Amino acid sequence: MTNVTKYLSLVNSYSQVHLKLEGEKLLLILPEGDKSIIDWWSVVDELKCRLNGSDSSWKSGTRVELIANYALEEKQLQGIAQALEEFKLKLKLVCTSNRQTAIAAAGSGFSVQQEPHLETVVDSSQTQSQELAEPLYLKTTIRSGMEVRHPSTIVIWGDLNPGAKAIAAGDIFVWGRLRGIAHAGSGGDRSRHIVALKMEPTQLRIADTLARAPSANPERFEPEVAYIATEGIRLAKAMDFFKTHSFSETIGAWR
Amino acid sequence: MSRIIVVTSGKGGVGKTTITANLGSALGKLGRKVALVDADFGLRNLDLLMGLENRVVYTAMDAIGGECRLDQALVKDKRQNQLVLLPAAQNRNKEAIQPTQMKEIVSKIALSYEYILIDCPAGIEMGFRNAIAAAGEALIVSTPEVASVRDADRVIGLLESHGIEKINLIVNRLKPDMVQMNEMIGVEDVLDVLSIPLIGIIPEDKRMIVASNRGEPLVLGQPDSLPAIAFDNIARRLEGEKVPLLDLMAAQDNIINRLRRLFRT
Ligand SMILES: Nc1ncnc2c1ncn2[C@@H]1O[C@H](COP(=O)(O)OP(=O)(O)OP(=O)(O)O)[C@@H](O)[C@H]1O
Ligand SMILES: [Mg+2]
Repeated sequence: MTNVTKYLSLVNSYSQVHLKLEGEKLLLILPEGDKSIIDWWSVVDELKCRLNGSDSSWKSGTRVELIANYALEEKQLQGIAQALEEFKLKLKLVCTSNRQTAIAAAGSGFSVQQEPHLETVVDSSQTQSQELAEPLYLKTTIRSGMEVRHPSTIVIWGDLNPGAKAIAAGDIFVWGRLRGIAHAGSGGDRSRHIVALKMEPTQLRIADTLARAPSANPERFEPEVAYIATEGIRLAKAMDFFKTHSFSETIGAWR
Repeated sequence: MSRIIVVTSGKGGVGKTTITANLGSALGKLGRKVALVDADFGLRNLDLLMGLENRVVYTAMDAIGGECRLDQALVKDKRQNQLVLLPAAQNRNKEAIQPTQMKEIVSKIALSYEYILIDCPAGIEMGFRNAIAAAGEALIVSTPEVASVRDADRVIGLLESHGIEKINLIVNRLKPDMVQMNEMIGVEDVLDVLSIPLIGIIPEDKRMIVASNRGEPLVLGQPDSLPAIAFDNIARRLEGEKVPLLDLMAAQDNIINRLRRLFRT
């Protein structure tokens, strides 16, 4: 039971776009999340941002299968196909339990697979993902207004700018300046870390613990790690962390 | 190939329209064929800044709707015959125009002009989407203020996700004396967050406002003023020339040092 609630919180904090390489094909999953109204522009923006930032481990011309449960119009499907095409990816198949989406897909000339129980398909891939999902690797600056969510660890090779957010069920690594908001262990795991080359955050969160930036930030010039200690979120030199700290399950903190 | 450049910022009132007018005129001085497109539907004022208000007969909306030919809607500048303006409709609903229509009309203009500068409205809503739809590159305008930098950063992210990769930064309204006194963030601080190439810095200057009110871009009215030189330099950098940045801070430093010395002795 606890597992289910934990999993639900993960789904709710899940991003609007999920890319998953499965063999030769790329799955593009558009989960519904907990939103009744989906801001379509931000879905397309997020998709493009993902494609831009990802290390494109797929070959050009890779086949893409779209999995979406909500109602999509032909125009919107074509928008997705166009966005994918910019990155030399080809939308081939649309998997959906939604009738309107199925009709729109057929109308736009994509193959359609109508699945009444698609929910479970998406679900199982997410339950798995809690432990198994690959880290999300982004080689880009995460700019103000962007929000990156991922069910495992996030690695950013670039800056996390003020006004930007990274939320991970796993750890967060920022190989650059962390100046926005980072939330590690978003599914409740208190043993998670936030690591940055330069730690100047607006706010750090690990599991359900929060730390605001001190108003006067002492200049530090070495990579730091944020972790949960008994008295709350603390920073330490990243270099020696594992030599000097260990996680205690009983108190749910690093010592 | 003509260059289609959107001038955008996110935050309002930072100088997009002023920069579009002056930069367009500076490119005109270099002998380029330039079209200025006012994409600020409902709030047009590029025609005012260019002093062309009384020549506007048709607007972009009329050209899109087929109520006039495109060349009828393009207003010829009164000072430079290589320069035209496509005015925005003032009365119609912003939502009435679609990104695809914008793209279509701009690509038609691109057939006969070398530079197309698009004056983008503030914000990131539909008007913004329309303004960037046709653009191949962007000039981001930011003042040295935290809120302006934050919005510029947001807009850069949106441009990047729309596949616009050539993005240059103009820092506008720099007040060297305030930076010197640590009362204002400096250009380095802006660059530090935005991490895109800097193409020019425009100092704060009262004459900019006077020129706007008179409907005569400063670049033409007072070509020897510091902002005018800054605009000319940006135009040359767009052309691919390597022009060193004006050292606005150094000038300030000298004045202040001189004053300090004066007071000490
Ligand atoms: N370098 C400058 N020095 C002094 N005043 C300036 C400078 N740049 C712009 N201004 C003034 O700032 C005001 C706003 O400029 P402008 O209308 O060009 O901004 P904008 O970004 O187009 O605004 P909006 O978002 O409303 O379209 C005007 O009064 C203009 O004269
Ligand atoms: Mg304006």
